[in-house]
Amino acid sequence: MNRNAIVKVENLSKRFGDLLVLNDITFNVYKGEFLCIVGPTGCGKTTFLNSLTHLYEPTSGSILFQGEPVDLQKHNITYIFQEYSAMEWLTVRQNVRFGLEIKQQYDGIDKKVDDALELVGLKQFESYYPRQLSASMLQRVVIARAFATQPELLLMDEPYGQLDINLRFKLEDEVVRLCKQTNTTVVFITHNIEEAVYLGDRILVLTNKPTSIKEVIIDDFDRPRDITHPDFVEMRNRITDLIKWW
Amino acid sequence: MKKRIDPKRMESIVLGIISFLSLLILWQTAIWITGTTRFPSPTTVIVRFFRALVEPIGPYTVIGHVAWSFSRVFVGYSLAALLGITLGLTMGWFPYVRAAFKPLFDLLRPIAPLAWIPLAILWMGIEEKSKYFLIFVASFVPFTLNAYAGSIKADRQLIGAAKMLGAKNNQLFFKIVVPSSVPQIFSGAQVALSNAWMTMLAAEMIRSSYGIGWVIIAGQQVNDMAQMIASMIAIGIVGFLLATGMRLLERRFLVWNNQGI
Repeated sequence: MNRNAIVKVENLSKRFGDLLVLNDITFNVYKGEFLCIVGPTGCGKTTFLNSLTHLYEPTSGSILFQGEPVDLQKHNITYIFQEYSAMEWLTVRQNVRFGLEIKQQYDGIDKKVDDALELVGLKQFESYYPRQLSASMLQRVVIARAFATQPELLLMDEPYGQLDINLRFKLEDEVVRLCKQTNTTVVFITHNIEEAVYLGDRILVLTNKPTSIKEVIIDDFDRPRDITHPDFVEMRNRITDLIKWW
Repeated sequence: MKKRIDPKRMESIVLGIISFLSLLILWQTAIWITGTTRFPSPTTVIVRFFRALVEPIGPYTVIGHVAWSFSRVFVGYSLAALLGITLGLTMGWFPYVRAAFKPLFDLLRPIAPLAWIPLAILWMGIEEKSKYFLIFVASFVPFTLNAYAGSIKADRQLIGAAKMLGAKNNQLFFKIVVPSSVPQIFSGAQVALSNAWMTMLAAEMIRSSYGIGWVIIAGQQVNDMAQMIASMIAIGIVGFLLATGMRLLERRFLVWNNQGI
């Protein structure tokens, strides 16, 4: 793995009034890696991601993207939320185009949109509106919109939390394929330990509030991964033990 | 292939026709039973209506009067749409605009358009300007209110997604807030149109020399009830056509928002 740190987080803390949510977090994200972040529900994973993008200003500490403070208008970062965020007044094609237009990436825009639609298998649905699509298709529109912009960093906040298990498996495979194919750096937040072990190159295990990093685990199983393999199961159990609060 | 008519749609059309014919029969029967001459029969009114389409009442036929009324509505309504939508959208999105205009708007909002008639006449006289103004006032409030509601209720999730893609404030406004407010703006446009049409009639009844409201008053002055009722039918037809036109526009522009597209 290329060990160039694309994101450097140092001594990050975030406090809401008296409540300390993030406590002195330090870690790097390396170029091209798939970093999963797991922790107990409500531990502040989303706050963590929102601080990373400066949607929340950190109380202390620094977050550098390619050596400078994060600037969403300058840096090519994309965020996929748990809730579907396709613009309902735009067709599938226009939705995928939307990200490129916002980022003013007009060179070869139609080709980029076509490629992204092909990647997620929505080419024949390009003239459909979000209301006409299923849940998995909606999330694929958002994934296509993200990949069309060829982001240097893709942040995903429990993107499959609302999907049933079959769709989740399908989209997990799809997103790993896309990321490896395009060498995209991903920070993926989930409370689903099996999902983290299945997807990640590295796994950051967070503690309960105030959140800090409990352990960083290298997850270098061959892909595609077998969730019934003893090594896989062992890692899953180990992480479960780490985040146990009961 | 020949398009089949939906049986439910057919049923509602037939019921509508039956209801309309029943009213006419009831009306005609009441005239026969009472033998009154103070109220015209439906046949008299229908004949009068068709005559008014070709024979002038005052300077114009009913079609000409409707055209005048429509032109007054068009001016006041268009101006209200332009200013009301702009104010509503910006009030919803820009806190400074909201802080500056919302209290003023909340104060003016409950004042019924007709309450402005005396002031409008004193300020602008009895000619066209005062009518434009009254129609403007009647349409401005629903346009502003609905655009404001659409803007302030813009989906935070979509705004967040656009922000994460690097959208600037003006991009968020024009690419998220404005398009997501369009359904609400269309609702406001419907209400505004109905208000504008009613206020136009009131304004024409108070002082005018032409227009469909004036035709009713002219009928009253010569005790011609058939003319008055025929004019009311014309108002109903135009109102129905405008509402239908608005619905078609909505269906055309909000295809993404239609259930089962």
